[in-house]
Amino acid sequence: MKKNCIAMLLAGGQGSRLYALTQKVAKPSVPFGGKYRIIDFPLSNCANSGIDTVGVLTQYRPLQLNSYIGSGQPWDMDVTDGGVYILPPYQSAGEKGSWFSGTANAIYQNIGFIEAYDPENVLILSGDHIYKMDYADMLREHTEKGAACTIAVLQVSMEEATRFGIMNLGEDGFVNQFEEKPKQPKSDLASMGIYIFNWKKLREYLIADENDPNSSKDFGKNIIPNMLHAGEKLWPYRFKGYWRDVGTITSLWDANMDMLSPTLINLYDASWPIGSRSPVCPPHFTGESAEIIHSIITEGCEIDGHVENSVLSPNVIVGKGATVLYSVLMPGAVVEEGAIVEYAIVGENTVVHAGAHVGAAPDGTDAWGVATCGPDIEIRSGAAVPAGAMIYTGEEV
Amino acid sequence: MKDFHGIIFAYSAAPELRELVGVRTAASLPFCGRYRLIDFALSSMRNAGILDVGVIMQRDYQSLLDHIGSGKAWDMSRRNGGLRMLPPFGLPEYHRGNYAGTIEALNAVGSYVRDIPQKYLVLLLGNLCANIDLTKVMEQHKRSGAEITAICADHTPAQSHHRYVVGEDGFVTQVYFDRTDDGEGLPSLEGYVINKDTLLKMMDDCRAKNLYRFHKDAVAAFLAEGGRMDTYVHPGYAVAVRSVEAYYKASMDMLKPEFRRQIFPADRPVRTKTHEEVSTYYGESAVSRNSLVADNCMIEGSIENCIVFSGARIERGAKLRNCIIMRGGIVGEGAELDCVIADKYCSFSAGTVLTGNPKLPMVVPKGSRI
Repeated sequence: MKKNCIAMLLAGGQGSRLYALTQKVAKPSVPFGGKYRIIDFPLSNCANSGIDTVGVLTQYRPLQLNSYIGSGQPWDMDVTDGGVYILPPYQSAGEKGSWFSGTANAIYQNIGFIEAYDPENVLILSGDHIYKMDYADMLREHTEKGAACTIAVLQVSMEEATRFGIMNLGEDGFVNQFEEKPKQPKSDLASMGIYIFNWKKLREYLIADENDPNSSKDFGKNIIPNMLHAGEKLWPYRFKGYWRDVGTITSLWDANMDMLSPTLINLYDASWPIGSRSPVCPPHFTGESAEIIHSIITEGCEIDGHVENSVLSPNVIVGKGATVLYSVLMPGAVVEEGAIVEYAIVGENTVVHAGAHVGAAPDGTDAWGVATCGPDIEIRSGAAVPAGAMIYTGEEV
Repeated sequence: MKDFHGIIFAYSAAPELRELVGVRTAASLPFCGRYRLIDFALSSMRNAGILDVGVIMQRDYQSLLDHIGSGKAWDMSRRNGGLRMLPPFGLPEYHRGNYAGTIEALNAVGSYVRDIPQKYLVLLLGNLCANIDLTKVMEQHKRSGAEITAICADHTPAQSHHRYVVGEDGFVTQVYFDRTDDGEGLPSLEGYVINKDTLLKMMDDCRAKNLYRFHKDAVAAFLAEGGRMDTYVHPGYAVAVRSVEAYYKASMDMLKPEFRRQIFPADRPVRTKTHEEVSTYYGESAVSRNSLVADNCMIEGSIENCIVFSGARIERGAKLRNCIIMRGGIVGEGAELDCVIADKYCSFSAGTVLTGNPKLPMVVPKGSRI
């Protein structure tokens, strides 16, 4: 079945800078924004953009991701001539088999999958960004410009530009230089790690790159510079709107807090629904002593305490007299009577027992940070988890 | 269980539900923020492994069809068997308009019932709000050797109901019809496990005699002929919703944790059609006490003892007490509502004041603008 464009979603990374949150799950399946997991955003963008064939490349701890994606039904991807496919590393006859050694290698190893759809173009996505984007519009521009590769770029401040891969443009508007984290940026257009390639071209470069022993098999480090060097046409697609990389604890917490402001990213927009596999629980219950201010709450929660500026996932319980401030509570987290959770991320099914205190308000020092508890932890009664702490599953607190 | 087949009665018109059933049957009445009443029967069956289910309907079933779809939410969209929606197709000669009784409804889909491959049937009302552990009922039915096992309540319902008197051998000796208070016997929830042969005989006998009622005709005759009927007492919440008052009371009962635990036990989840929903947002001035709130709402005002369905917007300064606001309801700034049931997509402009009574809540029909 020939397709104009299929998507390949890179979801194999550990997300090591999320520490305790990605000990047992891959970064794309980390809960986000109450009802979602990070991967819901690129998958929903595909569905809303009319891309119905997505290969999800998994490697690190894929179990939960596999069961979460399932048939792809929450994103309307349970279709007959396409759909969402989990693509783990595999072994071939007569070969030793190997892990994906880089983003480009991951796609190289799945050339067979892509060829089955004989696509004109391939969209490369990563599973760690929060944004709403119409890939169809990007594809239109890519086709119009006759580009070998179109790279989504975001305008950032010159200060921020030092932290991104920066695209410098020639007079014709095409990209003529790519600089990774430049000390003195010449442009403010940051790569978002979202690419549309002409498949025939990409295939050539993937094979050439695979045969280069010095390559690190990475899109940003190898494929894009090689294409530029060879004089291919690389077009920058300017994206305007909300986009966040959620690869660190701070950025994950920040982006969760952004969910409280529909002016930043409007999830209530019925024309661009973000799908998720949700557990079907009763509506949330607010008890006699509940106080909920500027927060989002979802199904299955039972709230009897004070919740302010926080993001709660399904089945969270906040007991009487408990306080939750500026925090992210992941599915099934429990904050017992009189416990305090502030400026914190609490992992799935973690219990903060009565009277415990997790996190602290910013004190202006550099040492301050968001306190993080991984999944399935018991924070014992009366314990104190300081600001910036990182509590791993299995630790005694 | 593979040898059980489910039948759900979703045809009931229930005129005492007034405006609430103007556009739907009692079985598809929205309930508890995100459900429809029929979810309880469907989920009870699903949780007992009954995936082959026929839903008998007669009229006003558009919303029921919308809600149930292919039955996927209950895992009943199967390659073989699965869910079947059953509009009338083999009306008996005596049929005159609305089904006058359950036997008539069964005879109207007689060929479906005859073709059921399983040996046992489980019959449930589509408007029964109860989470029944049917696995236990089915096991008991097989063990006891009864031809019928009647599912009964552990408390006396407020509404008119039938009662079964059990003899010393454990089988039913007598049935009392249309009782409204305590007395001898167990109150029927009108749910049954029944041998297919027994049910077919009831249907044929009634058809031959132009009779159409399940209890007063078929069950009465079955007992008179010495048939063996066992009883199973369902321990937990159970209400057949037949009137506005019962609907309102059952809704408000869901605010009590003990009833919620009985209706939504962790090991027998109530399944329903899921919409693409986002979380509910509470604003700076929101107050929410003793209330159930579904997803995708914006709460800026104050709610107390309320059930709020998805997509509702309660604006700043609005005060709601003892209300049920169904999907998409909008309550404007400073509006005050007490004991109001607002059907789907109602809107109340700023400053509106409406008050009902717990015994006679004010029902605002679907789509009203006030």
